[in-house]
Amino acid sequence: MSKPRVAIFDFACCEGCQLQIVNLEEDILNLIELVDVVEWREAMSEQSHEYDIAIIEGSITREEDAKRLEVIRSRAKILIALGACATMGGVNKMKNNFDLNEVRECVYGEDGKMAHLHTEMTQAVDEVVEVDFKIPGCPINPAEFAQIIRSLLLGKTPFVPDYPVCVECKAKENICRYEYNEICLGPVTRAGCDAPCPSAGWRCFGCRGMVENPNVEAAQEVMEKYNLTVDDLKQKLVLFNTK
Amino acid sequence: MSVSTVTKEQFKQFVSALVDSDQSVIGIQAKDDKFAFGELNNADDLRLDYDVSILPPKKYVLPQKETLLSFEVGGDSQTVQNTAPAVLIGVHPYDMIAINQMDELFRQGEYDSHYMNRRNNLTIIACDVVTPSKNVFASSMNTTTAESGFDIMLTDIGDAYVVEAATEKGEALVKQMPGAVEATPDAVSKRNAAREKNETALDQHKLDCKPAFLPKLLEKAYEHPIWEEKARLCYSCGSCNQVCPTCYCFDVQDEVEWDMKSGCRYRAWDGCLLQNFATVAGNHNFRQKRADRFRHRLYRKGKYVPGKIDGEIACVGCGRCITACTSKIANPVEIYNALMTETEIG
Repeated sequence: MSKPRVAIFDFACCEGCQLQIVNLEEDILNLIELVDVVEWREAMSEQSHEYDIAIIEGSITREEDAKRLEVIRSRAKILIALGACATMGGVNKMKNNFDLNEVRECVYGEDGKMAHLHTEMTQAVDEVVEVDFKIPGCPINPAEFAQIIRSLLLGKTPFVPDYPVCVECKAKENICRYEYNEICLGPVTRAGCDAPCPSAGWRCFGCRGMVENPNVEAAQEVMEKYNLTVDDLKQKLVLFNTK
Repeated sequence: MSVSTVTKEQFKQFVSALVDSDQSVIGIQAKDDKFAFGELNNADDLRLDYDVSILPPKKYVLPQKETLLSFEVGGDSQTVQNTAPAVLIGVHPYDMIAINQMDELFRQGEYDSHYMNRRNNLTIIACDVVTPSKNVFASSMNTTTAESGFDIMLTDIGDAYVVEAATEKGEALVKQMPGAVEATPDAVSKRNAAREKNETALDQHKLDCKPAFLPKLLEKAYEHPIWEEKARLCYSCGSCNQVCPTCYCFDVQDEVEWDMKSGCRYRAWDGCLLQNFATVAGNHNFRQKRADRFRHRLYRKGKYVPGKIDGEIACVGCGRCITACTSKIANPVEIYNALMTETEIG
């Protein structure tokens, strides 16, 4: 059987998730034993219109990007959304909370009126085309990426947790941020990252998105127990979890 | 078996010698403003005056994640066993009782060699509680003292420890303690006084019934509204499971290497509060609702597990779930007491 052809594309993002694939370092040699990478702007010059698997990094913020993504989708048998921007819009989606003209002016000043800086509401990849699999995170975890790719190539459903970060945080014996009356998004955020932020003394920023069934109704009463408000919580949530 | 005393200084020398030997030594140590069990590198770091550890010492018999076997896809598999001996210092009586319960559970039915090998290679130096933690309720659960499971039990009597050896391994260790002498009646009575004090002092929450009554109480409480009321605020984060010394459920997953042939099967802690804990093939979830999962934990502790271990209640009153629950709904005493007042028994 010939190796599957893989192409990696980027849209609105920092390209940090692709960099995490580059960060596999010597394991990239193992990866290309299993697949033919036929397009990957960050790491090679060649391009191709023929591929089986398309890996999409970044969110969709312009009409021409949506069209380009649709073409990629039509060529790919399997489409994988890579990282927070692709899977849920990510940090880019924060702008959806504001008037887009204001956003342009805030970022570019007078230049914001120039045609090529036109921007639209940010969309996650699955808001534009059908997505077969999502790899969450900002950035993605290279080890998790590798495990997911190997599972998919084996025809096995990859294991991506649908439980909150608290599970992994507790397993690492961290002291809960709420014990210090600090907000942490761990209780509603999908695990799989191994809780690096709370382990380093930070809160969970929610970069992997929410679990399938987060208890948002509990938020108000629970926040009150810590002398916090729902607004405090929302301020932290908008970073990655703007709808 | 012997009962001796050693001064705290002499005990420290003993621990120092253990640390310097090729033995793996695990001890209770400070972690920020809390405590955790970890590899002990210096006898000065041992904190036998601790209140409670963040995670129970069960992580040394049932680690958060452990490899069970290695395999070749479509080929053979080999079991992976941990047989490295270790000395575990500072286990509180309630945690000791929890380990004793797990010993029984992993022994009965299908003998779990992964658990049992770790357990049999562990030498346990337990200690009576000096400082009650903020949520401990061991007094209500009759778990302030432990009678078995440990090799040595230490009791702080001021400037010395009373050292009770309970096994041959324990006796051998006491022989290594410099200056250990047979305990005087005075030392023994100080120890007994310390234990007697703990019988009522580890009581930040008070259960309104004897623990042995819980299975009967729960027989009548399955449809009680409290499960919905409490679970309304439940994040299904499993924190109460993760920190519990008697929760022993695990999930099993396979991973393959880059050669796509060799792989390993591991198990990792699971928790019955998690959304998909009871999801099976075909995506059917037997406990889809938060309230169902919330109730299940309390039934495990108070009814289901006791049914497997001679009626012993599988909540040892450590209070960790009370501290760990972000929504502050996990307190078993509060729930059982509410059921006591609102459920007709008999």
